[in-house]
Amino acid sequence: MAPIPGRPAASPRPGCRSRGVPGRELVAPTVVAILGALAYLAFPDDLAFFTRIIVAALFVMSLDLVVGYCGVATLGHAVLYGAGAYAAGILCVDGLTDPLLLIAAGSVAGVVAGLVTALVILRAHGLPQLVLSIAVVQLAYEAANKARDITGGSDGLSGISPGPVFGLFEFDLWGRTAYVLALVLLIATLVVLRRVVRSPFGLLCRGIKQDPDRIRAIGGTIYGNLVKMYALSGAVAGLAGGLTAVTTGVVGLDSVSFEWSAEALVMLVLGGAGTLYGALVGAVVFTGFEHYVAAVDPYHWLFVVGALLIGVVLALPAGLGSLAAWLRRLLPQGAP
Amino acid sequence: MTAALEVQSLCRSFDGIVVADNISLSLAAGDRVALIGPNGAGKTTFVNLVTGTLKPDAGRILLAGVDVTAVSDVERVRRGLVRTFQITRLFPDMTVHEHLMLALLQRAEKTGRLFASLDSFKDAGAEADDLIAQLGLAPVADVKVRALAYGHQRLVEIAIAVALKPKVLLLDEPAAGIPHDEVLRIIEALERLPADLAILMIEHDMDLVFRFAERVIVLAAGKIVCQGTPEEVGRDPAVRAVYLGSYASRDRDALGPGPTVGRGRA
Ligand SMILES: Nc1ncnc2c1ncn2[C@@H]1O[C@H](COP(=O)(O)OP(=O)(O)OP(=O)(O)O)[C@@H](O)[C@H]1O
Ligand SMILES: [Mg+2]
Repeated sequence: MAPIPGRPAASPRPGCRSRGVPGRELVAPTVVAILGALAYLAFPDDLAFFTRIIVAALFVMSLDLVVGYCGVATLGHAVLYGAGAYAAGILCVDGLTDPLLLIAAGSVAGVVAGLVTALVILRAHGLPQLVLSIAVVQLAYEAANKARDITGGSDGLSGISPGPVFGLFEFDLWGRTAYVLALVLLIATLVVLRRVVRSPFGLLCRGIKQDPDRIRAIGGTIYGNLVKMYALSGAVAGLAGGLTAVTTGVVGLDSVSFEWSAEALVMLVLGGAGTLYGALVGAVVFTGFEHYVAAVDPYHWLFVVGALLIGVVLALPAGLGSLAAWLRRLLPQGAP
Repeated sequence: MTAALEVQSLCRSFDGIVVADNISLSLAAGDRVALIGPNGAGKTTFVNLVTGTLKPDAGRILLAGVDVTAVSDVERVRRGLVRTFQITRLFPDMTVHEHLMLALLQRAEKTGRLFASLDSFKDAGAEADDLIAQLGLAPVADVKVRALAYGHQRLVEIAIAVALKPKVLLLDEPAAGIPHDEVLRIIEALERLPADLAILMIEHDMDLVFRFAERVIVLAAGKIVCQGTPEEVGRDPAVRAVYLGSYASRDRDALGPGPTVGRGRA
């Protein structure tokens, strides 16, 4: 312990980036808004694909809340997403056509699915927890498959045709309305979630992830707080699911599958867990690879993704998103 | 006056090996007591039993006169029973300031707040800065603890405990693992703790014990073998025997009472 010269307490410290900078939490949403607008202008023919990326990004951000911020091990997160997708889809087929209400219903269904999942998998830790999460997603998959009268089973649920957004904006063939709606929801979610992870609750969850017993020793509880985070995560995953139902008009069994859960985890690791924007980066890179590489070589694209994943995990353990922080350090001091 | 902490006949064994053998002690507000004993005597186990991390086989624990034996560890913390860890247990990815914010907000029961920015808790922020300054940690306030010198980490352990404003504080070897010449920093920090706080300190560093404690309790093989002022305990041949390791080979009850040392419960 080197002797520390006495210094006044309350003076702001140089080099302190994490505190007291107002508006800092709006940087990432602004960047996303600008990139989103540029994509809209530059690639008007690819909007459906971009919408798919946004749905994936929302889903992976939702996963980041429980995996990256709370340290929960799950390969069953699609249960939360699928609940939202089916809820929105089924309600729409039954006659509720307002797209925002449908997405809200998807979000509520995601919360319920999140609570149920949390109740089961938070009983265990580590490997058993992972196995429980797989069991939960398999059960949900089978349930959706068996209930073909309402879900369409393996044929998928179709006939979802929502009305115009705010009664004004029809879902058009080019996917413009869908894309703008998705982008707005993504930005809003990003603003809210960045707020949450910087809140006292976010700090507590980071503590729970790093050492739950130490949290107990300062008087914090674990289970209730994790359930709460799961509910929030369910709201976001259900929103993503509802969004996909509304914008694509179909919901398939793959939306409650183990594969979709695993892909989300891959995207999260690729982009970097525990930062939110890493989830974005991972979703863009993975879905982009899927889209372009699979178009060139539909049989070997997963091979490329696998190689990329290995490269990233070995070279950048904190994910592709950490490249941004690395670049920022290269900038001259004093730059934002 | 009711004791801040009262422990009655606490017993616990692991696989038939007794690690807490009928331990009774009592701390009043403002007490400064040291618990010493050789390695493996059961000191940390005693702390774990009192905090509720471990369940006792028998015995009772009272906080401010209220039986908390059946109360959860978390609830005991909320009622003012706080401990530090022999081997530093901090959150490697959090800064010093974040540790203190977490402790202060937890104490104020505000860690459930989802949508409030941390920066908006100005009072907690100022209090955290105060504590950080008191312990001389200001220059490293925004450094993640994984990058801190171990001595600084020990100070953060103490700072967290202070931030929780306990009524009873159990310090498990606060100076463990840091060079002797830096122990002074720890001593200064301990001497600045609130006067009405009841403190039980486990410590091997005898300088620290003599400077800090008014009363010393000696534990060996899970049993209190003697207690008294530091001077009394220092003179007791039984204590020497314990520390020389010859204790185990002798019949416990055959140990004659030390000339000036009180035995059993005070
Ligand atoms: N969870 C456990 N299960 C089994 N045995 C345990 C457990 N915890 C502690 N022990 C045993 O209890 C005895 C007392 O351990 P304890 O850690 O309380 O000693 P201590 O007095 O704190 O020693 P030190 O000075 O080395 O910290 C040791 O023999 C230890 O091996
Ligand atoms: Mg110990």
